[in-house]
Amino acid sequence: MKEIVIISGKGGVGKSAITASLGFILAQKHRVLLTDTDVDAPNLHLVLGAELLSTQEVAASEKAFIDYKQCSGCMTCIDICRFSSIVAGTEPIIIPYSCEGCGACALSCPEGAIAVRTVVNGRINIFETDNLPLVAGELSIGASSSGRLVDLVKRRARQEGEAAGTEIILTDGPPGIGCPVIAALKGADYALLVTEPSTAALSDLKRVMEVTKHFRTPIGVVLNKGDIHEESRAAIYSFVEKNNFAFLGEIPYDNSIPMAIANAQPVVKAFPDSPSSLLLEKIADTLPGCINSKQ
Amino acid sequence: MPEEMTERLRSEVIEAFHRKDFTTPVIGITGGKGGVGKTTVSINLACALADRGLRVALVDADVDAPNAAILLSMPLKNPLEVNITMPLIDAERCNFCGDCIRACRLNALFMPRGKPPLLLGECNGCEACLLICKVVAIYRGRKPIGSTFLSQMDNLSLFTGALIPGLEESSPVVVAVKERAFAAADQFDIILVDTSPGAHCNVINALKGADKVIAVTEPTPLGAHDLDLILRLLDLLELGGSVMLNRADLPGNKEEISAIAHKHNRVMAPEISMDHMLAMSYAAGVSVVRQYPKAASSKVFHRMAEEIATEYGL
Repeated sequence: MKEIVIISGKGGVGKSAITASLGFILAQKHRVLLTDTDVDAPNLHLVLGAELLSTQEVAASEKAFIDYKQCSGCMTCIDICRFSSIVAGTEPIIIPYSCEGCGACALSCPEGAIAVRTVVNGRINIFETDNLPLVAGELSIGASSSGRLVDLVKRRARQEGEAAGTEIILTDGPPGIGCPVIAALKGADYALLVTEPSTAALSDLKRVMEVTKHFRTPIGVVLNKGDIHEESRAAIYSFVEKNNFAFLGEIPYDNSIPMAIANAQPVVKAFPDSPSSLLLEKIADTLPGCINSKQ
Repeated sequence: MPEEMTERLRSEVIEAFHRKDFTTPVIGITGGKGGVGKTTVSINLACALADRGLRVALVDADVDAPNAAILLSMPLKNPLEVNITMPLIDAERCNFCGDCIRACRLNALFMPRGKPPLLLGECNGCEACLLICKVVAIYRGRKPIGSTFLSQMDNLSLFTGALIPGLEESSPVVVAVKERAFAAADQFDIILVDTSPGAHCNVINALKGADKVIAVTEPTPLGAHDLDLILRLLDLLELGGSVMLNRADLPGNKEEISAIAHKHNRVMAPEISMDHMLAMSYAAGVSVVRQYPKAASSKVFHRMAEEIATEYGL
């Protein structure tokens, strides 16, 4: 079982649309399982038009709780908290959305009035479409510890994959480069980096590449909406060539992709003869070779 | 499968979220989904407000992928390092009791048999190990996690936060860049804060202290889905504002966006379509309002700037 994670740094470059289409094509020849680790804004099920089979609450976050029967109101905990997550009212009050659950307040409380408890911070949803299973994480509103939720989503995906004899796990990653992205990247065999021709996307690509370098994950680059700006396109090609990165293909700007999204289908299913679908087929064909070769 | 937060936030928590010790208005720009045009709206609104003679601070709080400086062609200047605590262990003092190992809930500390503990895992600087150590063998070191920058162009000041790639601590960098801008709030007529995509701690910290929020979205099913998520978060935080539809001509359902905005008691700001001049200025790293003041999108940004100026008496 090999895992490919799709990340980009910049949001909105087409990660989910590309993941859905690559999954759809690869599933014709391989046993594929999809994972959505963009737990803040999970969208892969919408791009696939997938049906929800089951859902399960998960507790992957820890928070401090104050027992006000024991609290003396000394407010020691407020100065101790490095995350400014306790405010002073008539009594100290934990700010749930920023509490890291580190327990420093509990250690410092002279009355022993504070305890750290595990709390529910999201769900794992199981979807399916066209015999393509999807394990998707969803963070609760105002909850934290998205990285730990991603860890659990990935663990569940591997369990489901083991049971189903999955050969390839395709993981749709979150935007950015921080905690949930690092969690999505951990343990992956290959990172597919999606970018688009703009100075902003190139800057974000460079930042996400530093992260993959840090974790020594082999990478391949896909340029989406390749023809929207010639100068930036050239800059991306020159960056990829100069650094000897594997370039997997360029997808042209194609209105079929937003049309397919509006129809809740991967573009390769909705418009198989569209220019973007033909390019996505080619990229999908090269992927199994990429994950099996050592870079 | 909507799932409501079972507990509402306590009023003291809401109050702390809205607290700021200056009068300069703060407007957040967010959206849930990535790539919907948050930064485009932020830089153009900042330029349109600055062109009215106002002293504007724009805070780029998308510290994972900061792009406002690129879209404004403003080089990053005046760097300040952002640090968190890194525990340093004094081997001479350590009595190998193992308390620090048990106190660390991230399991970042490891104690080889008969030797002082080593920091091996990701440490978030919570200082629980310092608090628990009875023999004062752990002291505060500093670990750099990112930088903040201040760049200036006439009456527009851009504050940028940037996380060091490979590290996980985005939130403290968000807090640092906000603090840097807020400390100088008296020098500005208005402060705009551009957030990261998503709806987690980075976004919440970026919006802390905002008076209102513009939620930018696109008419696709993905834009609609993520708009609903971010508006549920804003409702929880009791933070009002408007919804702005960008790329209004993308295939999708504009009525659905209006319905979601309405459900969350938010007005629709004027919409923006993908005009060629907006795309050109984006690629060139300039604001459309300055490069093509006659473009349809420029007119929308000027109108919004005027409305904001009127609302806050600027």
